[in-house]
Amino acid sequence: MSHKYKFDTLSLHAGQTPDSEFGSRAVPIHQTTSYVFRDTRHAAALYNMEVGGHLYSRISNPTVAVLEQRVAALDDAAAATATSSGMAALFSALLTICSAGDHIVASSQLYGANVNLLKYTLPRFGIHTTFVDPTNHEELKSAITEKTKIFFSEIIGNPGLVILDVDAVAKICQEHSILFMVDGTFNTPYLMAPVKNGVNIIIHSLTKWMGGHGVAIGGVVVDGGNFDWGSTDKFPTISEPHYAMDNINFYEEFGPVAFTAKFRAEAMYNFGPCLAPMNAFHILQGLETLPLRMQRHIENTQELLQFLTSHEQISWVRHPSLPEHPQHELAAEMLPRGAGSIITFGIKGGRDAGKKFIETVTLSSHLANVGDAKTLVIHPASTTHSHIDSQSMLSAGLTDDMIRLSVGLEDISDIISDFEQGLKAASKL
Amino acid sequence: MKLTVNGHSTYISTGGIKPSIDNQAIIFLPGSGQSHLTFVLQTRFFAFEGYDVYAPDFPGHGLSKGNPLETIEEMADWVAGLMAQCNLKSAIIVGHSQGCLVAMSLAHKYPDLAEKLILIAGALQIKVNDHLLDKSNSSLPLAIAMMTEWGHGRQGHFFAASQPGHSLLGIGRELMMANAQDALPADLLACNQFDATNIAAEIEAPVLCILAQDDKMTPVKLGIKMSDTFKNSTCVTIAQSGHMLPIEKPDDVNSSIQKFLN
Repeated sequence: MSHKYKFDTLSLHAGQTPDSEFGSRAVPIHQTTSYVFRDTRHAAALYNMEVGGHLYSRISNPTVAVLEQRVAALDDAAAATATSSGMAALFSALLTICSAGDHIVASSQLYGANVNLLKYTLPRFGIHTTFVDPTNHEELKSAITEKTKIFFSEIIGNPGLVILDVDAVAKICQEHSILFMVDGTFNTPYLMAPVKNGVNIIIHSLTKWMGGHGVAIGGVVVDGGNFDWGSTDKFPTISEPHYAMDNINFYEEFGPVAFTAKFRAEAMYNFGPCLAPMNAFHILQGLETLPLRMQRHIENTQELLQFLTSHEQISWVRHPSLPEHPQHELAAEMLPRGAGSIITFGIKGGRDAGKKFIETVTLSSHLANVGDAKTLVIHPASTTHSHIDSQSMLSAGLTDDMIRLSVGLEDISDIISDFEQGLKAASKL
Repeated sequence: MKLTVNGHSTYISTGGIKPSIDNQAIIFLPGSGQSHLTFVLQTRFFAFEGYDVYAPDFPGHGLSKGNPLETIEEMADWVAGLMAQCNLKSAIIVGHSQGCLVAMSLAHKYPDLAEKLILIAGALQIKVNDHLLDKSNSSLPLAIAMMTEWGHGRQGHFFAASQPGHSLLGIGRELMMANAQDALPADLLACNQFDATNIAAEIEAPVLCILAQDDKMTPVKLGIKMSDTFKNSTCVTIAQSGHMLPIEKPDDVNSSIQKFLN
């Protein structure tokens, strides 16, 4: 029997075979805008999607393709297309499916920019979203209308850390013939590859754990290949003749990768959210150590949870692995390797104490990112979620005293020492 | 395009261009549990090269309705009927794996219909092991996983792909899962029961055999034996590919076909 490579091996090798000309072991950086055609017939064949290959780096690029194929392998999916950021991935994926008049149902527990895109930007183009509590499946079902095309949610909500019951929601989406799209940034394929659970499209911000080093912004749209576009007439741009390439029918021509074919032919072509080859290279360097880093992220998270839950200055701690988390059992079942390395907590003394803590810690960095190799802290109410309204903040589980902690890879004793002196300073207010 | 064949809706990929009937016709026949999508990088290419392309989904496969056919001879009869319905007096017949068996049966039973045969990753007999036969009935996802793993060569397992961002293993799994539940067991049983040893020697049409060096399902030595059986055959072996040659090495397959046809 052929040997199917495991996750750790795929993190290092998938998508790449050593360069046949020079034997480069590392992935070469193809820093080029365009590619010389062999002849006019070859050029036409590339434009017509008759053959594989690259014609212009806005559409595809060999270095970026290695990254795409590696992510598709890690997520056990049919295809992946990289974009310039996670937000570019989400926007382009939504617009690949939705047109004016269409409807989206989304979790209320989303990252601030995701909320703003759905709540304010897309309605300007006639695409409206109903936000629901992702744990209330009856509310979710009630929100679905005949115009609904997509249910969208993060698997681990940012920053509320609500866990989506992927199996149950997949069943609802299948029953209503709507696309199940998730943001998998906080789980990464290492903690959960959800195509086998019935997720159809996965969005990742590659900027976070997948890259891990904090040097490159990037995103990716992963196509599970498991949505039956022919089962419903809800998706005419995929399952009926399309304006591009002589009324091509993506569903008939490309089957499981119909979404990706349309994404490549329309979103990459017309919107242009391409990932720079250099950034793809940087992110690939990070991906090589994803499993090792995720193990350490999870170990440090568990140690820090023990420290925080027993510290007298801490008023509350939230993480899906804690027994008091309302979805503790679901998280343990669905994410057996760990429920991520984001912790939220409150400090006695409220907003001022939180501010003092953030300004006093020295090893932990105060910045607007998560998933870096370094430990990061932020006060979401005044930063990442400051531009969303108070009702949406409440729906997202945000409180004024909340501190979001992205646990890094430093020696755990140094992180705890840093926190001890930060909490000591906060206690003196 | 869609036709009604034997009362069932039947999908035939034409590579994005409607056949004109004036051009040379070329018919692509997929392997066990596969569909027209096996040939996604041949159908569009040869349609734009000027051929009238027909890549039908057999009943119960891909986008075609109806019950899966149970024998290779029945499949050959079905193709002959489809050709009559499309007003095709003859065509170049391209088969992959099980499609090779169907192509040989067609060329033997209806010699006037097959001008030339192109047999990709084929053999005179394609024996299926009992474990796979059993799993195709009792645990379809496991059978499909085994076939996609065996079917792809080393580069496929490293997720190499000519189309940027594609996972051949992932696409293969979803393509096979999209068929009717009883399609794969019927195909495997049909393969297991067919032997082209005697009929191949009687086929007059010129044959091109395209073999994959790392093929674990129909090893090269069986492909060479098949090629040697024909009266008029050419054989090429493509390096660094497994059984799924049409998608693993599409450019090599296409250029081999072009060279043979020209």
